Amino acid sequence: MAESVENEIISIIADVSGYDEDEIRIDSHLVNDLEMDSIKAIEIAVAIEKKFKISIRDEDIPQITMPEQIITLVETALTQKKEPR
Amino acid sequence: MGVPLKSCYDAVIIGAGISGLTCGCFLAKEGMSVLLMDQHHRPGGCCTSFSRNGYTFDAAAHSFGSYREGGNMRLVLEALDMAGKIEIRRFTPSDIILSPDYQITFWSGKDKTVQELQQFFPDEADNILRFIGRLTDSKPLDFVALRSMTYKDLLDLYFTDDKLKAILSIAVFGNGALPPSLISAFTGAKIFTEFILDGGYYPDGSMQALPDALAERFEELGGELQLSCLVKKIRTDANSVRGVVLEKGVSIRAKYVVASCDARQTIFKLLGRKVVNSEVLHEIDDLIPSLSTFILYLGIDRPFKSLPKPGTNIWFLPYYDLDKGYEAAKKGRLESIGYMVRLSPDCRTILGFVNAPFRSRLYWEKRKAAHMESFIARIEEQIIPGLSEHIVHKEAATPQTLYRYTLNYRGAAYGWATFPGQLFTPVLRQAAHIKGLHLTGHWTAQTQGIPGVAYLGLNTAKLIMHREKIVN
Repeated sequence: MAESVENEIISIIADVSGYDEDEIRIDSHLVNDLEMDSIKAIEIAVAIEKKFKISIRDEDIPQITMPEQIITLVETALTQKKEPR
Repeated sequence: MGVPLKSCYDAVIIGAGISGLTCGCFLAKEGMSVLLMDQHHRPGGCCTSFSRNGYTFDAAAHSFGSYREGGNMRLVLEALDMAGKIEIRRFTPSDIILSPDYQITFWSGKDKTVQELQQFFPDEADNILRFIGRLTDSKPLDFVALRSMTYKDLLDLYFTDDKLKAILSIAVFGNGALPPSLISAFTGAKIFTEFILDGGYYPDGSMQALPDALAERFEELGGELQLSCLVKKIRTDANSVRGVVLEKGVSIRAKYVVASCDARQTIFKLLGRKVVNSEVLHEIDDLIPSLSTFILYLGIDRPFKSLPKPGTNIWFLPYYDLDKGYEAAKKGRLESIGYMVRLSPDCRTILGFVNAPFRSRLYWEKRKAAHMESFIARIEEQIIPGLSEHIVHKEAATPQTLYRYTLNYRGAAYGWATFPGQLFTPVLRQAAHIKGLHLTGHWTAQTQGIPGVAYLGLNTAKLIMHREKIVN
């Protein structure tokens, strides 16, 4: 699952940012390397929520600086979804 | 009808509004061959001016913001070396709010505006400081945290006084056509910081000077501008864009097509339902456009004492319930809602704006004259005594007029309505996943006004340059 989550997220970031998938590393800086702005950040969040059927807390988004953090966040959300408390 | 000089370009751009012009300039600057077309006979889209009886009127956009050091508009114009082509002045104060109890001025300096608000609302003094501080000190990505909230939710976090909340909302309502309970906090906050706290900029001459200067720069950079040139179809093949078809079947090939025009028209008419996948069609079919605007244009014989300062937007707020105002606007009860009026920087013309619904041509033909007279009477009674004695030219634009000149869906003044749940979808800018096709302008994201669409134009150019492996 982990690899496909990563691929999906990189694909979404590529779609929104205009960067090719092979240019995006999990430790790329979203703002400095991939020219992320507030509109694109929201577009990515919306696309991820739609793709994985999860919800991302609004206050978490500004803290994210690298794709790696998005992957962790999505994986955590997916795990929680599978194991309802 | 404008006829392109060649049959093949690297990129064609549909719509010479500010977003299309900006995108075109940046692409041409990188050496791409670019054709920019507009159905109108002058560039600018919502940012044009027209002349009548010796008076020059700004048709819709009448000033802009984000021109501070580091502001998006300044960054765009500086990157295009526009310094010698256009003189931009800031008119201050940019906005004054007149309500039943207050006259409150938004000054060009943040501190002075904070003091002004604190003077009228001493019980909210600390909250005013915290609110404006948050909006002006936040980093761009911090605004992302506002994405699910309405502007009302945001105001409620800081204030208890409903009158103050309405005063901080009237210009947001005017510039976004939604009341605080419906407009997204992201858009409301952006309008407040970029249009109000950093607003009031105006190019020497008229607003037309801005698109004219961009068009001149575009042509200097090797771009080709064709006006009175209507695009009928965007051609695609195997999910890639191939070019466009103009009137009389003229076919133009291009590797990239940028639609800087109404997104509904792009998807449903220029591309067609067969080309776009059904998921995207449904998503766009469900989106609601913003309200339109009724605009009053007055030419006056001479300056007179009761006129407001030139270049200052005067907002008249008849009551504090903006939800009520929005419902009245949707029903076309223009005489009962708040409005904005301004004296032009050349002190010769007056513009009045009030939110209005899209209705049939017949509806507006029947009501236009009466709305115009009642609007003049309201301005005379509430803001400019003696106005009617000085009017030598008067006319008005209805939502149908806006539609006719811009072909924007339902004459929408601000693209899609900026509800929190609407628009933050990559579907619009990613152009339905058709390779080589990009959408830009106020129909593609929750950003508005001239700086917003200029920024999107630059952004779209960057996406294309990136695809072309042009590094700059």
